[in-house]
Amino acid sequence: MKDFFLVDSRFSQQELPACKPMLTPGLVIMAFIFIGTIFIPIGLVSLFASESVVEIVDRYDKGCIPEKYGKHMVAFIQSKETNKTCLRTLTVPKLMKNPVYVYYQLDNFYQNHRRYVKSRNDKQLRSKAYASETSTCAPEATTANGSAIVPCGLIAWSLFNDTYGFSVKNKALEVSKKNIAWKSDQDSKFGSDVFPKNFQSGGLIGGAKLNSSKPLSEQEDLIVWMRTAALPTFRKLYGKIEVDLEANEKITVLIQNNYNTYGFEGKKKLVLSTTSWIGGKNDFLGIAYLTVGGLCLFLAINFVLVYVIHPRPLGDPSFLSWNRNPAGHCTYG
Amino acid sequence: MRGWDRIRSSRSQIRGLGGFTRLSNMNEHQPSSRTVRLGRIQPQAPGHRTIYCNDRDANLIVRFKENSVSTTKYSILTFLPKGLFEQFRRVANLYFLMISILSTTPMSPVNPITNVVPLSLVLFVSLIKEAFEDWKRLLNDRVINSSPIDVLQGQRWESIPWKKLQVGDIVRVNQDGFFPADLLFLASSNQDGVCYIETANLDGETNLKIRKALEKTWDYLTPEKASEFKGEIQCEQPNNSLYTFTGNLIVQNQTLPLSPNQLLLRGCSLRNTEYIVGAVIFTGHETKVMMNAMNVPSKRSTLERKLDKLILALFGTLFCMCIISSIGSGVFINRKYYYLGLDEGVESQFNPNNRFLVAVLTMFTVITLFSTIIPISLYVSIEMIKFIQSTQYINKDLHMYHTETNTPALARTSNLNEELGQVEYIFSDKTGTLTRNLMEFFKCSVGGEVYGTGITEIERGAAERKGMKIEEVPRSATAVHEKGFNFDDPRIMRGAWRNEPNSDTFMEFFRCLAICHTVLPEGDQSPEKIIYQAASPDEAALVTAAKNFGFFFYRRTPTTIMVRESHVEKMGKIQDVSYEILNVIEFNSTRKRQSVICRYPNGRLVLYCKGADSVIYERLAEGNNGIKNLTREHLVQFGSSGLRTLCLAYRDLSTELYESWNEKFIQAKSSLRDREKKLDEVAELIEKDLILIGSTAIEDKLQEGVPSCIETLSRAGIKIWVLTGDKMETAINIAYACSLINNDMKQFIISSEADAIREVESRGDTVEIARFIKDTVKQELRKCLEEAEHYLHTVTGPKLSLIIDGKCLMYALDPSLRGNLLKLSLICCSVVCCRVSPLQKAQVTSLVKKGAKKITLSIGDGANDVSMIQAAHVGVGISGLEGMQAVMASDFAIAQFSYLTDLLLVHGRWSYLRICKVVTYFFYKNLTFTLTQFWFTFQAGFSGQRFYDDWFQSLFNVIFTALPVIILGLFDKDVSASLSKKYPELYKEGIRNAFFKWRVVGVWAFFSVYQSLIFYYFVTASSRNGHNWSGRIFGLWDVSTMAFTCVVVTVNVRLLMACNSITRWHYISIGGSILAWFVFIFIYSAIMTPHDRQENVYFVIYVLMSTFYFYFTLLLVPIVALLGDFVYQGIQRWFFPYDYQIVQEIHRDDPDDSSRAELLAIPSRLTPDEARSYAIALLPRETSKHTGFAFDSPGYESFFASQAGVSAPQKAWDVARRASMRKQTRASKKN
Repeated sequence: MKDFFLVDSRFSQQELPACKPMLTPGLVIMAFIFIGTIFIPIGLVSLFASESVVEIVDRYDKGCIPEKYGKHMVAFIQSKETNKTCLRTLTVPKLMKNPVYVYYQLDNFYQNHRRYVKSRNDKQLRSKAYASETSTCAPEATTANGSAIVPCGLIAWSLFNDTYGFSVKNKALEVSKKNIAWKSDQDSKFGSDVFPKNFQSGGLIGGAKLNSSKPLSEQEDLIVWMRTAALPTFRKLYGKIEVDLEANEKITVLIQNNYNTYGFEGKKKLVLSTTSWIGGKNDFLGIAYLTVGGLCLFLAINFVLVYVIHPRPLGDPSFLSWNRNPAGHCTYG
Repeated sequence: MRGWDRIRSSRSQIRGLGGFTRLSNMNEHQPSSRTVRLGRIQPQAPGHRTIYCNDRDANLIVRFKENSVSTTKYSILTFLPKGLFEQFRRVANLYFLMISILSTTPMSPVNPITNVVPLSLVLFVSLIKEAFEDWKRLLNDRVINSSPIDVLQGQRWESIPWKKLQVGDIVRVNQDGFFPADLLFLASSNQDGVCYIETANLDGETNLKIRKALEKTWDYLTPEKASEFKGEIQCEQPNNSLYTFTGNLIVQNQTLPLSPNQLLLRGCSLRNTEYIVGAVIFTGHETKVMMNAMNVPSKRSTLERKLDKLILALFGTLFCMCIISSIGSGVFINRKYYYLGLDEGVESQFNPNNRFLVAVLTMFTVITLFSTIIPISLYVSIEMIKFIQSTQYINKDLHMYHTETNTPALARTSNLNEELGQVEYIFSDKTGTLTRNLMEFFKCSVGGEVYGTGITEIERGAAERKGMKIEEVPRSATAVHEKGFNFDDPRIMRGAWRNEPNSDTFMEFFRCLAICHTVLPEGDQSPEKIIYQAASPDEAALVTAAKNFGFFFYRRTPTTIMVRESHVEKMGKIQDVSYEILNVIEFNSTRKRQSVICRYPNGRLVLYCKGADSVIYERLAEGNNGIKNLTREHLVQFGSSGLRTLCLAYRDLSTELYESWNEKFIQAKSSLRDREKKLDEVAELIEKDLILIGSTAIEDKLQEGVPSCIETLSRAGIKIWVLTGDKMETAINIAYACSLINNDMKQFIISSEADAIREVESRGDTVEIARFIKDTVKQELRKCLEEAEHYLHTVTGPKLSLIIDGKCLMYALDPSLRGNLLKLSLICCSVVCCRVSPLQKAQVTSLVKKGAKKITLSIGDGANDVSMIQAAHVGVGISGLEGMQAVMASDFAIAQFSYLTDLLLVHGRWSYLRICKVVTYFFYKNLTFTLTQFWFTFQAGFSGQRFYDDWFQSLFNVIFTALPVIILGLFDKDVSASLSKKYPELYKEGIRNAFFKWRVVGVWAFFSVYQSLIFYYFVTASSRNGHNWSGRIFGLWDVSTMAFTCVVVTVNVRLLMACNSITRWHYISIGGSILAWFVFIFIYSAIMTPHDRQENVYFVIYVLMSTFYFYFTLLLVPIVALLGDFVYQGIQRWFFPYDYQIVQEIHRDDPDDSSRAELLAIPSRLTPDEARSYAIALLPRETSKHTGFAFDSPGYESFFASQAGVSAPQKAWDVARRASMRKQTRASKKN
């Protein structure tokens, strides 16, 4: 009979040692205060970091259309005849320490559309051996005569092709295109022996053409573009300006406005931004931390008030339901 | 079939020609030689089998089934197909199969892996479980198949395993052995060719049955003789009817008809017989017991049925989400998004020309995408949790382990664990369930004086309720406590009665006890070793009492009773006296008495009579009012102490009177019509002018802790109904004893024992009787209901109880009255139904189950409770002592009624709590996860693009969030077991279903939506710009990996917040799950596989971890997500605390109770033999208007008859009656 219960009896008798956390008012208030005191500094620090970032945003899609094409923007952008050069002037609000990052931002561009996301072939991108591997690339898999497009697929095909030239006081600023893509993409996803082939050779040109003498691993624009964005509004890194920009300096931007966002009512923005340790300008985290921290403190105060005004002694048996409405007519003595 | 018959008929022809010449060469090697002769043979009636006893070769050709049995569900070959088929009968699995198939189409946004992996894991686990269970069955079969049996081989008994047994073999079965197959009973070691069998395994009846061999075969007992036996059995084909059998035995050219009386069925066991010899008729799966084997329909718990509704709601949600997405996709798709390549040749899913088709096809796409909303691993997790709960917790709970009988609790199904936490009505059998069914002679009243000094449990209970303490008095030297006798009074023990003033009355008293009964003595004829075989334990107790008083009944012949009397003439003198028994007028339920007319050796003719007080008092002679009144007082006193009483009386008869009466009696006895009625009438003639001797008081001891258990259960909001086949008086008595009824209660009694009804009944018109009773019951019900409703509206009205007997119940259960009955009984605190048949028990149970939609539990120990046990939501059998029938039908088996406290208040409540949490948590986690995906759909053009990587999605349910929830389901405890029992009211939360209401689900759903919004929008909103000095930007997979990390962390931590107690297993499992995710993503994103994987997530985690964004988001998002729940929980606990939370608070400083020992203490066990009656005198006595009555064992009537070889019709409840003497021996054997 003894061995009947010889198994771990603490387990089967359900008497494993356990701690029993209880959400007492004190604990709740403490937790709120704790979160508040942790979050508010973090919020302040990140908000500060975000504020220290200088950012210039310029929407140019409308402004870069000559007035006579105001009603026919799509025709303008699709025409090969029209002059798509556009001059914009930006004012630096504050000192922008180098490196100043140049981004383009697109709106209403669904890089996360299912048809779009899957329209690529990672094997092909990675290795020369798979150059003819275009299985998932429809409808931009092959040229009309059936030879494989490298890089294939809609993503590559719709590569962004506006270009920006910057000058300050008539002196051109060099835009570095090195190191704008994540290293891992460059090293592992895009092969150094894969060269563009048959790219943008069809009747319909989606976007930029690629230098077919450069391997894909060095085509950082493409690599950046092909890390598809999560949301229909996204920024992509265009390049870096590796000089400081003084406050109130006027920057002249020469834009080649090639990319068609007019067809789908998208927006195009040029963004110049410095970075801090937290990255680009993004107040969201800071504000969220501050709000949550503040809310916690507010709740803590409220709970304290409630605790004072409407106290409930811990473990007061009179709160037990059978004590609150006693003598249900069926209880036995 | 025809071939068979022909072969067999040819065989008989051969035999007819050749007699018993041995056809030894006729074996299976030359079957053709025999089939040749077929033409000449007269065909036998089809559907019969012919068996040649003791002739293996002859039977060989027919190829009877072998005797090995297999109860396994699968074989190696059928396991996979059959097992899978079983699995896909579950809707969830089938759904996932369909989704998996759908996800292999190009329409699917996800890799088939996403759905195939969880599905196959779930199937794998389920199949392993099935295989394990089947394996255990296989082992069990093997044990049975290889148990040894003696078979006649040549002229010796050889032991062979059961499975080698063949039809026609001659076998020997020893005492207490089981019959290995269906046998034809040939010979017995008892002289008259009878044997006793116990059929408990078959039908639960534990009273012994007599089987009688044909006289022709009685001699084939020794192996030498048996080997000469050459019989041919022609009998029916195997069938599943346990009680019929037809066939002929052809032996020595004589055809003898066979009846069930000669059939010994497999599964029964041999009792009281040294050994028997039989011939095998049916083997293996053709035995009647195997042909009866059917699967008991398994019960599903109420919670699980509600779970189905929840799953349906999830399907509804899924459908809505799909509709929204598909409409969205139809609206979104537009050729203006030229970069999507939506030119003319685009596939129809994206073709803007046919938006409707786009919507429809997208529907399929998003179904596969959102499939995670259905928690695929829910069922298998719950099954696992419940399995461990029942096998590890319930079966091994020391608090439900009965040491005396070595019986642990047994959960026979793991489906109903949580149902135990919601029981509102308990239907209990009385005898053997509330009481031990061990009758003990406890007190007596002789000549107007009470003897016996014990204090009953009921008295003690009453005293304790009044706050009095009964002092324990040391056991006196004269006290005797043996089975059936628990009595002490120095005034009469050890012959001291001779010194009492009325010693003659004592003599009559004891002789009445020793003579007036139908008990059979068995075994050694010494007072210590004798065993009394009685129909009811009451009788045995009375005879045992006589034995202890010095009137030792040791032998019965058909006409005499031998009594060894001591102390009669002189102290210490012993004398064997033989009383001639002239007539026995048996007990039946209308007579309520039993009389024996005996002749003393000196010629004195006496009629001894014992019976219920009401019938005895009517028949007493005039005069002697002093003793009558005193005795009546004593009867009331005994009754209120919960004792079962009998009055004893005698009458001296003159020879003439007797002779003339006897003639009438013999006439009546031999009359063919209305014999019973005539016997009754004749009995009336002589059972009159009785002289009262006194009364006996027998204690039907309550099981240990029953009153306190019932009190605890009532405080828990559970209503207990007693449904018993017993008499109303006894039932009420016990109800008093268990404090189900007390005198402060208003009792509604609906009884058929009313004069008006009797009068109608005596007229004998059955239609009229039925109409009359129905009307009466109708009126009574209406009257009671009105009164009850009146009390219900008054604040301080008395508590109500309803007592109804079986006959009235029959009419009250009529559809037209049922409503009122239900209303009335639901108002009443306690309901006692007496004299109910097993069927009525089941009807009452389903009345409450179906009519009131309450969760019911039935508890019983006998076969008469089986229907009730099966009808209730939860059936509980009392195990350890009785037949197995109730246990076999039950869902849980416990050894004692009082273990219900642990079973319900501890295990049930915890199970309920845990399963509720597991279910709601599953619901929450899958909904949250799927909703983040849903929100993404809005920003991905409703294209059905997946937000998460395939593997994330497929492993979410089965790895990253699987284990903690199981740990929760196993270990969560709101309050400790001892507090669960200390505050039984906590159980009401389960009855109200407080933890699985739609409101609770709604709260979880609300926070799911909240959290998923936080996950999605916080993660995306904070990801828009660069995230470190390098200014580089994240892509889709970076963001989704971030979001997934947040989801995994949050849902795991959320689980911790749902826990009431946290063991290290919680930490290990939750930490482990989060760790598993990180380990997975570290490895997964670090490798490049050559296979077709879009390298979405390559290196993402390292990219993420190189930014502050990762750490800040990881800190912010889970906390914000959980803040909502935290605030909710804080407010809920503060302002609307659950009861358990208050109890937690009350006992927050208690040390962790590592043992429930202190509450194990069942209110101090009554040891009546150590108390003294004067202590009782101090008690304010609860007055009772009724007295107990011991003669109510329904099996009584038929017992004596069956012993005498007369087959009396078995009443339905007879099966409940068990041969009480067997229990102990069997119980001890189990040890």
